[in-house]
Amino acid sequence: MRRHGRRAALGAGTAAVLALALGACSVPGAGGGGSEQQQLAGGRVTKPVSPGKVAKLGKTELRIIADSGEQGFLRKFVPLYEKKYPNVHVKVETKAFDDSSKTIVNTMSGSNPPDLVQGNQGYGVDGLLVQSGLLRPIDDVAHAYGWDLDLPSGATSQLRWTGDGRIFGSGNLYGISQSNEYVGVFSNRKKLEKLGIPQPKTWRDFTAALKKADEKGEQPIMLGNSDQYPAEQLLGTIQAQQQSVSASRAWIDGVPGTTFATEANRKSARTLRSWAKKGYLGADYNGISADDAVTKFTGGKGVFLVAGAWNAPAVGKQLGDDAGFTIPEKPDGTVAAAGSFGLPWHISAKTKKADAAIAWLGMMQGEEGAQAMADAGRLPVRTEGVKMPDRLAEQQAAAGKRLLDDDGQTYYFDWASNSMMTTIGSATQDLLTGRLGTGAYLGKVQKDWRGFRAGQEKAAGSAGGDKSGAGE
Amino acid sequence: MSAAVRAWARRQYWPAYLYLLPGAAFYILFVLRPLLTTAWISLFDWDGLTLGSWAGLDNYTALLSNPVLRSSLLHSLVFIVFYALVPVAVGLVLTGLMVRIRIRGLAVFRSLLFVPQVLSTVVIAVSWRWIYDTDGPVNGLLRAVGLGGLARSWLGDYGTALPSVGLIGSWIMYGLCMVLFLAGAMRIPRELFEAARLDGAGPVREFFAVILPALRGEISIALVLTVTQALRNFDIVWNTTTGGPGDSTTVPSVAIYQGAFVTRQVGSAAAVGIALTVLTLAVCAVIMRVLRERKG
Repeated sequence: MRRHGRRAALGAGTAAVLALALGACSVPGAGGGGSEQQQLAGGRVTKPVSPGKVAKLGKTELRIIADSGEQGFLRKFVPLYEKKYPNVHVKVETKAFDDSSKTIVNTMSGSNPPDLVQGNQGYGVDGLLVQSGLLRPIDDVAHAYGWDLDLPSGATSQLRWTGDGRIFGSGNLYGISQSNEYVGVFSNRKKLEKLGIPQPKTWRDFTAALKKADEKGEQPIMLGNSDQYPAEQLLGTIQAQQQSVSASRAWIDGVPGTTFATEANRKSARTLRSWAKKGYLGADYNGISADDAVTKFTGGKGVFLVAGAWNAPAVGKQLGDDAGFTIPEKPDGTVAAAGSFGLPWHISAKTKKADAAIAWLGMMQGEEGAQAMADAGRLPVRTEGVKMPDRLAEQQAAAGKRLLDDDGQTYYFDWASNSMMTTIGSATQDLLTGRLGTGAYLGKVQKDWRGFRAGQEKAAGSAGGDKSGAGE
Repeated sequence: MSAAVRAWARRQYWPAYLYLLPGAAFYILFVLRPLLTTAWISLFDWDGLTLGSWAGLDNYTALLSNPVLRSSLLHSLVFIVFYALVPVAVGLVLTGLMVRIRIRGLAVFRSLLFVPQVLSTVVIAVSWRWIYDTDGPVNGLLRAVGLGGLARSWLGDYGTALPSVGLIGSWIMYGLCMVLFLAGAMRIPRELFEAARLDGAGPVREFFAVILPALRGEISIALVLTVTQALRNFDIVWNTTTGGPGDSTTVPSVAIYQGAFVTRQVGSAAAVGIALTVLTLAVCAVIMRVLRERKG
């Protein structure tokens, strides 16, 4: 009898252990984020949300998760918002970019997501958020506040997705941003003067300046590419001169039939390789980090630095008014550059405080938000009536406005697929050193794109069987 | 069979298992369960969010035909040399020296050599990035002694990036090995040394005849720890080269990280994780078997 009891206990114990250990054995993802059609949170809006309407929420809390790069902006902007909407307390949580892009999708699919969140353009974050039905479309908001008239429709396509989140660049508007980020050419004015080179205005001026600097024994461009993205942005800068903006965007959006191996891209890759070969980029670019390159540039190494406008505070601190900045003009007199809006802000599909969240976006896109952005040392999308802190920032704001007016943001190559950052990053390192020929380079990038497109189409087909036959 | 089980069950003192229960519960909950969940997920095609679809062993067969993964495994083998073999060798030599020579302030010396083990790996990576920098001290030294021709961007050069990252690992690990071996050497009875010296053994002979055999257990532990580190190496690689230039320093852990968090192929990342775990366990089993203390 006792022995029987022991054995029963042993059996029960084993069963309990197994149950504990195997407890997770259901299909992963089951029970998670619902993709069913939901109501527009807070209902459709037709005019800007008034403080009176927000006040109806009573004393409440607006929860926000933002990138840690927004801290400066938020410190200025949150008090302004809380003053205008006194019944709302804003609770901010910031996360480092790497952390947030890795965890944000899971946070948003949880049972208690924040009301407002910053995503990231492209399939890696925004695409997944839309696929899982976690974001409120904001076309009605854009119309009510007039953003659809203020912003070029080409540029806002970076915030648009089809409802199933499988096609980037068209469909509903899911986010908005007050920050303008693009890659341009920093120059060291003192060096230019010493070499007798005028500040370049056009691409032709710029390439002539590179040649002249090289002849006079200066390193023309400071490049630090151990993080793998700076050379990709340099290629984007060259490519923006060669190819139409819409063609560049179409490939990044994933339009069927487009390819990376265009004649313009071949020419751009060849130019980049020839610059590396001629020593225009120095010798050790693959071993220098992006931040170190900025430090070396401000320390007097290199005549130009092709880098994101967001490096201005670091450059300006050292070079002051000796820092020049420009986007070289194309032969037709327009400008185009690798660039986009900053990280977009999204409203959660599950928010109960849609009015407060919409009011946040409305105020952020307005003059107060733009000034707060400028005061935080960043470039606002809206520049009229905004006072920039210094001369470098003024140059950048002017260049940024021109870029938006010409609708010249060509986005970033690495948005094209989830793995593109790594693929194009390491392939470009190989291109620079000549390990990959131009043709092999273009082929390697396009292969990644093709694999990703195939996966997206398969997923879109299996998710909405009735929709798969539509179109064409 | 069942008779044997019954006999085994009769011999047990069952209340003893109650004492194991808290520890076992934690182990099951926080080690076994995640491991089994990972193994389960590795059988699916899953983006980490939406409903996964059954893939069976497809993720594993895909591993075998992935050329990038194969080269990253090769890099891991190189890292075993730098993370395990070099530190063990250096640790043994230092131990041999320290046993023979009485050094004043040995404890201070020992703690200093152990410091790399204690430092955060991100701090180590940033410091070494500076050391290897084009304008950093390594190149400065080379130029100062007239070897400027050898100066290069150590982490950015295809030929030197892998061994340069590997040497950082050697630097981190040798302190651990040395402290382990010194502790082991302290336990060797003095009579053994005296006997060896009476028999006319020199320092080299003494090292191979007395110290090395006595440290068999410590060497085995050191190898298991360092080889595990080498195979799961991620932080140093990620923070010094991001796997570059090209993909000349990628390791399997980088593939796991990218699959799980960047490309969101969670199923295939889980498969790499499981395969890496099995490989690590197998290598460690071989080490422990070869270096097993022989009885009698």
